[in-house]
Formats: sequence, C-alpha cells, structure tokens
Amino acid sequence: MALLSAIIGGILFGGSLALLAYGLNLAFGVLNIIHFFYGQGIMLGLYLIFTLTVWFDVPLIVSCLVAVAVIVALHVVVHLGVIQPLLKAPLINQFLALASIIIILENSAMGVWGATYRGVPITLPVLNIYELYIRTSNLIAFIGSLIVIGLLYLFLNKTYTGLAIRATAQDREMASIMGIKPRRIYLITLALVGVLAGIAAAFYALVYAVHPHWGGTFTLMAFVTVVLGGLGNLSGGFLAALIIGVVMMVASFLTIPEGGPIAVYLIFLIVILLRPEGLLGVRARA
Amino acid sequence: MKRLANLPTGLLLFILLLAIIFPFVGLPLYFTHTIILIFIWGAVTTAWSYMGRFWMISLCHGAWVGIAAYTTVLLFNFYHLSPWIGLWLGLLAVAIAAGVIGYACFRFGLVGHYFAVTTLVVTELVALVIIAFRDITDGRLGITVKPLRTAPLYFQFESKVPFYFMALGLLLLSLYIWRKIDQSKMKKALTAIDEDEVAAASIGINVVRNKTTVAVISAVIAGMGGVIYAQYIMYLNPVTTVAIGASLAYVFMAILGGMFTMWGPLIGAIIITGLEEYIRVTFGTVLMGWAWVCYGFIIIVMIIFLPKGLYGTLIETLHKRRMQKAARESATP
Repeated sequence: MALLSAIIGGILFGGSLALLAYGLNLAFGVLNIIHFFYGQGIMLGLYLIFTLTVWFDVPLIVSCLVAVAVIVALHVVVHLGVIQPLLKAPLINQFLALASIIIILENSAMGVWGATYRGVPITLPVLNIYELYIRTSNLIAFIGSLIVIGLLYLFLNKTYTGLAIRATAQDREMASIMGIKPRRIYLITLALVGVLAGIAAAFYALVYAVHPHWGGTFTLMAFVTVVLGGLGNLSGGFLAALIIGVVMMVASFLTIPEGGPIAVYLIFLIVILLRPEGLLGVRARA
Repeated sequence: MKRLANLPTGLLLFILLLAIIFPFVGLPLYFTHTIILIFIWGAVTTAWSYMGRFWMISLCHGAWVGIAAYTTVLLFNFYHLSPWIGLWLGLLAVAIAAGVIGYACFRFGLVGHYFAVTTLVVTELVALVIIAFRDITDGRLGITVKPLRTAPLYFQFESKVPFYFMALGLLLLSLYIWRKIDQSKMKKALTAIDEDEVAAASIGINVVRNKTTVAVISAVIAGMGGVIYAQYIMYLNPVTTVAIGASLAYVFMAILGGMFTMWGPLIGAIIITGLEEYIRVTFGTVLMGWAWVCYGFIIIVMIIFLPKGLYGTLIETLHKRRMQKAARESATP
C-alpha cells in the first residue's frame, strides 16, 4: 500500500515536472538555448511568495500573482540583457552566461534570505483514501499543471502568436520569410517561459520549503525530462515526466532519499548516450 | 610574437625564484595560505583548459577533484592506508571514471550543449553518491581527515611550506603539460576535430582516442589538485568541493583569465581566489555571497564583450599592434 502511495506521489510529481519541462523545451526549441537558470527563477518566486505572505501578510493569491509578474520581468530582462546579445555567439558562451545567472540568483538569495529553509506555513489536509495517503497540495499542483498545459496547448495551436512561435521553432528562416519577426517571437517565448516558471512557483509554494540551492535539482530534472521525451517533442515530454516522477518516488521509497535522483540521472546517462532523440522521440534535426 | 605569448624567459625565471623564496621571507602565514589555494586552483583550472580550449566544456572537474580526494581520504581514515599510496588509487579511479565517461560521450558524438549537460549530470551523480553513503562519508556535513600532526609518511604536515611546494610543483606540472599538448600532434588533431569532426575523421584522425586522451590527462591533474587540497585543508564537503558550484567555478576562472592561452587560467585563478580570500577576511562571509553576485555580472559582461578573457584579449591586442607596426615598417622603405 505504501508502494502504491509512492507511485501515486510520483505521478503527481510528474504532472508538475511536465509543466517545468515544457518551459525548457520551448526555450530550447525556439531560441536554441538551454534555459539554465530555470530552477533558480522558480526559487526566486518561492522566496517572493514566502516574503509577501509571511513577512507582509499579503493574501497568498496576490503574492503568487506578484511572483509570476516578477519572474516574467526577470526573464524579459535576461533576454534583453544577456540572451539577445549572445544569439549569434557560440552555444557554449550562451550556456555559461546563463550559468552565471545561477550564481547571481543563488548568492543574492543567500544574502537576502540566508541559508535556512523558508516555507509558507499553510498545511493543507492529507487525503486518506483506503490507506492511500495523498497530499492535497500535491493534488492541486498536479491538476493545476494539467490545466496550464492544456491552456498552453490551446495557445500554441489556436492563436496567431502561438502558431508563430511553433513556426519559428520549426524553421527560423522560413518563418521570417513568412513575415514573422524572430526577435519579437524570441521575446514573447521567453516571457511565456517566465509565465510557466511563475505558475510552477505558485503551485510549489505549498509543497516545498525553499533554500538558496533549491533550484538546481529542478532544472536538471526538467532537462532530463526534456531529453527523455525528445527535444521539441511536447507530448513525449509529458509521458517522460510521469515516468521520471514515478521512478524517482519509487526509488526513493525503496532505498534512500538520494536513490531517486541517482536512478533518474543514471537513466538519463544511458538514454542520452544510446538514444539522444529521446525514448519516444523521432530523430531530431541536426 | 612567440616570445610575448609565452612571456620572456628571464621574467619567468624571476617569478619562479620569487615563488621559491616566498615562504621564507616571513610574511604572514595567511599570504602563504592564499597562494597555496591559488596554486591548487590554478593547476585545476589549467587542467580544465586542456579540454576547454578545444570547446569541450566539461562541467565535471569538481567530480574529478572529489573522486580523487575522497578515495584518498577514505582509504586513510578507514584502512589507515598512507595517502602517498592512496593517492595513486584515487588517481586511478579518476582516470578510469574520466576514461569511461569521456569514451562514452565521444564515441556517441556528444558535443556542445549535450556534452556540457551530460558532464553536469555526472557531477551531480558523484555528489549524490557521496552524500548517499553518509555512513562512511558523513554526507553533507563533509569528511575530516584524521589528524596526526606532523607525519610526513602520512602526507600530513603542520607547516604550510611542504604544501606550498607541492602545490607549486603541481602548478608547474600542469603548465608544462599545457605546453606539451600545445606542441604535440594531438593539438593539431583536436583543433581539426573542433573545426569539423566529420572532416577530421575522414582524413584519418582518431576522434574518440584523441578526445578521450586529453580528457583523462585533464581529469588526472584535477584529481591531483583534489588530493593536495584535501590533505592541506583536511576537510572535504560534497556540496562545496564536488557539486555544480565548484565545477562552474573552474570554468569561470578559466574564462575570466582567457581559456585559450597558457597563462590565462592561472591569471583567472589568481584574481578570483585572491579576491575571494581578501573579501572573506576583510568583510566576512556575508559579503562573499555578494562578491559572487558581482563575479556573475562580470562574467556575463566578459562573455558578451571579451570572450577571449583578460589575458587572452591583452595578448591579442599586443599582437595586432605589432603586426600593424611591422606592416607600416615594411610599407615605408
């Protein structure tokens, strides 16, 4: 029964992981960058929600909205200041510039909030269905993520801007011939990624207590999901997220807390070496 | 030009002489401490640049430092095996790990982003495994070497001087190997591979072997740095010496100084380690975090405007000026 609980916990975790992976996938597909400070952006959002609700007594919903706005602003600033000047530079330069944003965000968080765990002290009840224990906060994050993913799907398939983003992801030059301005699309995409990160932060606010080095694991997990699902393959990413969630929770349950990430990273190494197009993917364009 | 890029021999000998008499002039021990750290991190960063200069961005040098250091320390703590013997086992472990990871990555053609992220995952994996075996490694708390006071047979000295010369020796070794690689056929092969891997393979260059060789050499030197660091500080922590932060720090030092030149990585290490120690002592650890925030901004500005690093840009400017002067002289009879 406890194992079943772990599996359900894994599926719930996988849902929100899918949301994270979509953001990374978008950034990679459209701008061809690895959005390296993704987890740190979410970490900043969690700290903002904590500060506003606990220190300034702002209602949780309002502070979540503020956090989303700030994370979007962060993404726009980084795009204009760092990514745009480096779009033509070697890939590694972009990678390292984004990596140094990790250093900036983590050390700033350390300086402002210190190294202790900070969490919003609201505990939602734990559901008990025939001995299966499910945390309501996880359930909310899972359902919320599904809704956001659905909305994202509609946005990318039904609106002009969304279609322009997908067109740019498929073929930059062709899209610009068709009258799509790549620079504008890049900016919109990164803002969209910021929205996803902000929403993820809002869902995680009730699940996790945050500390300055919280984000790195989530970026890596999301990246592993993207690679397993296949870069640029949005539906593959969802299944990969569920698989990773379940593997992680079950491995942690059966062994030690570190067992989960270790199992996931090992799977990642095997997959990236033997099937770099992803478990479910078609072979990506070179 | 050749002489400028490699610094005049006289100046080099003078600096070396200064370095040798430095621990005996009676400056505060703190300076010696900082310089030992600079030597160690300078060597590790130089080792990183063996690969980095061919655009193989490895983010697992923290892991190599950690594997060698932890192997040596654990063998000593649990089996009382002298680190002088243990270090060879540690380096062997690093060489095997780097060989396997390198071979796997290069055999399956991981380059650019993919190589960087894969090595990053390897680093996280090593850090997590160290944390997971908390019964023997003390997990996140970090491990302390059992102190024996001065015991030369067990690689422990109360004086800083032996460590100073070992670190200096390692630094010189790492620079010497840089030179050797620079003059070797391997450099030409790796440059060709960097430009176009398929074309290089088609003219008979063994891509996998060349890349794996340089990866193993680089990892072993980093491992030596780890061993000396562990014996000198007598404390190891998986988060600060192994994980992502440490691995990125070497990369940043190399970029700041200039990763395509022989002296660049060392200069980066001098600037970052020196500033870090200065700020830590003068203003305390709180400000050190903010100093890192500043480094982050500086690195971004450097990557955008000076991708060749401080020393690299300086050398290039001097070179250009010389060429212009030579051109002018040859133009006017």
